[in-house]
Amino acid sequence: MSTLLTYISVSEGKIKRSSLEVLSRCNELAAQHGLKSAALVVDSDPSAAAEQLKKYGPDLIYTIENPIFKNHLNTPLLKALTTAVEKLSPKVVAFASTEGSKDILGALAANQKAAPLADVSEFELTDTGVKAKRPVMASKIISAVQAEGPTVILTVRSGSYDVVEKAGDAAIESIPFEFSDDQLKITLKEIIGAAGDKIDLSEAETVIAAGRGVKDDEGRKLIDELASVLNAAIGASRALTEAGVYDPSLQIGQTGKVVSPQLYIGIGISGAIQHVAGMANSKVIVAINKDADAPIFEIADYGIVGDLYKVLPPFIEELKKVKSN
Amino acid sequence: MKFYVCIKQVPDVNAPLQIKDGQLIQDADRNILNAYDASAVEEALVMKEAHGGEIEVVLIGPEKAKETIRKALAMGADSGSHILTTGDENLDSYSYATLLAAFFKDKEYSYILCGKQSQDTDAGLTGSMLAELLGVPYATNAVGLEVANSSMLVKRQGDTGQELLEVPSPGLVTCSNDMNDPRIPNLKGIMQSKRKPVDTIPVNDLGVDISGENVKTSVISFEEKPTREPGKKYEGEPDEIAKQVAQLLDTAENVI
Ligand SMILES: Cc1cc2nc3c(=O)[nH]c(=O)nc-3n(C[C@H](O)[C@H](O)[C@H](O)COP(=O)(O)OP(=O)(O)OC[C@H]3O[C@@H](n4cnc5c(N)ncnc54)[C@H](O)[C@@H]3O)c2cc1C
Ligand SMILES: Nc1ncnc2c1ncn2[C@@H]1O[C@H](COP(=O)(O)O)[C@@H](O)[C@H]1O
Repeated sequence: MSTLLTYISVSEGKIKRSSLEVLSRCNELAAQHGLKSAALVVDSDPSAAAEQLKKYGPDLIYTIENPIFKNHLNTPLLKALTTAVEKLSPKVVAFASTEGSKDILGALAANQKAAPLADVSEFELTDTGVKAKRPVMASKIISAVQAEGPTVILTVRSGSYDVVEKAGDAAIESIPFEFSDDQLKITLKEIIGAAGDKIDLSEAETVIAAGRGVKDDEGRKLIDELASVLNAAIGASRALTEAGVYDPSLQIGQTGKVVSPQLYIGIGISGAIQHVAGMANSKVIVAINKDADAPIFEIADYGIVGDLYKVLPPFIEELKKVKSN
Repeated sequence: MKFYVCIKQVPDVNAPLQIKDGQLIQDADRNILNAYDASAVEEALVMKEAHGGEIEVVLIGPEKAKETIRKALAMGADSGSHILTTGDENLDSYSYATLLAAFFKDKEYSYILCGKQSQDTDAGLTGSMLAELLGVPYATNAVGLEVANSSMLVKRQGDTGQELLEVPSPGLVTCSNDMNDPRIPNLKGIMQSKRKPVDTIPVNDLGVDISGENVKTSVISFEEKPTREPGKKYEGEPDEIAKQVAQLLDTAENVI
């Protein structure tokens, strides 16, 4: 029977929520169409993640294990996926959209002669492939697209589907995989500034985003304080990642990351379309900006017009009070 | 070193847009060099300035896209190849990659640079697809490039940190706009660009079937994004506003 295969991305032994969102969608589609939903973990030590996966109800769980997967590298990951796809001939291979999956999506499509769809926000099966929606024109517009062929490979924006737990007891099957270093086409020399134990921006429930209005250490301190009161992840606009004030991995937007938190607070951010492209799906948007005409106010649920240096101190105090009640 | 940079002409996302009967209409036919490709051209120019070499840009597109090739030449690229389409074909990243692979088949190069994605579709597929079709090593989402001996050191922005990768030649790299500010062509550059060679290749001369199996995806229609209504604006005394908004986030929204 044909399968829908979800690639489960694992970071330090933990399954990424965005992968579970994709798996939940594939479970649902598989049930509707009488297909099997399969999950694949590719990791240096996939067993714990594979075990955890059972409670999300895939019909089949596959693992590919090799020490090479300790760090992301496109050559071995591509080879692992090629192996899995050739073994399972899935109707769909679905990934959460991450820099890791974007790195190999096109290459996998090319070597499988399969149709690729990047960064979809919805997808459905058709008789001959997949129908999907994806944001285009810096997310100003939605395009309805279709992909044809026996296998369609796609990545899904985080926050597009809810995670649904579903009791199951799928068997875990390990797919044989060999990889020797001389097959590496590129080499990893160094990993620079991995974010470590910080809250993962793309999966955070609360995001505080700092923009050019945050000018100095005092501003940064206020951002840190607010983030710690709300247990939030910190993100930034391109103005500040470009200036080196925040790490480039914290950029939210078209070039940066897509976030879909319950609460987004934009501070000193104008709301350029390329930034909004990455945060418009937040449930509640709060903006603090001293310019009453800043475009961010067009999408903010709570628009605070004022100088961030004057607004943040009392706001932080009030939030502390609310939190302690 | 010989660099090729794949460049695309894209509609300016800042220009007014309308949707009529599921079709996307650009009120002003404003088209630009894809921002990510402009960064790729800039990076090639910096490497050429440091180490010498030659830069050729390649574009697949209709006649009017020639202005985008001129733009890259005015920035400083040496020559261009224009794979000429009518503009009426239904081409997707897969067909662009297949056409580019046919173009590069008998070419010699040190590196091919692409943008990490098209600014209009955000697909981000063509680069790694092309690398795989050509069988060359690649790295995506580069935020820094450096030529080291006969290979290239690529700083890649990953999901958390950055990775420093060594990509041997010939290879392919896709560029983020986070690595530089592309230069604006000056008058001299613009004058010189008019004399630089641009080779026009009719798309059918590449021997690629672009009506069937090399087009895998198509757009059915365009739709408006569900709009978000602006909420309430709070102006005035910061202490008062802080109190009100904090309360509402707690009681009305339940998000803190
Ligand atoms: C292809 C492309 C991709 C891009 N990708 C991204 C992306 O991924 N992410 C991204 O963010 N941008 C991206 N950009 C850039 C984007 O267009 C904007 O330039 C950027 O988002 C602006 O950042 P900003 O809002 O912080 O700065 P600005 O636009 O300069 O806004 C600063 C705001 O701060 C306010 N302010 C100043 N001082 C104060 C104060 N004391 N108190 C309160 N408010 C104050 C000002 O009123 C202003 O509205 C991209 C651009 C392109 C062309
Ligand atoms: N029509 C084209 N002509 C030349 N290069 C292209 C074309 N389309 C895409 N590319 C290259 O592929 C990159 C990624 O494109 P995409 O897969 O559309 O996001 C672009 O930044 C270009 O470098």
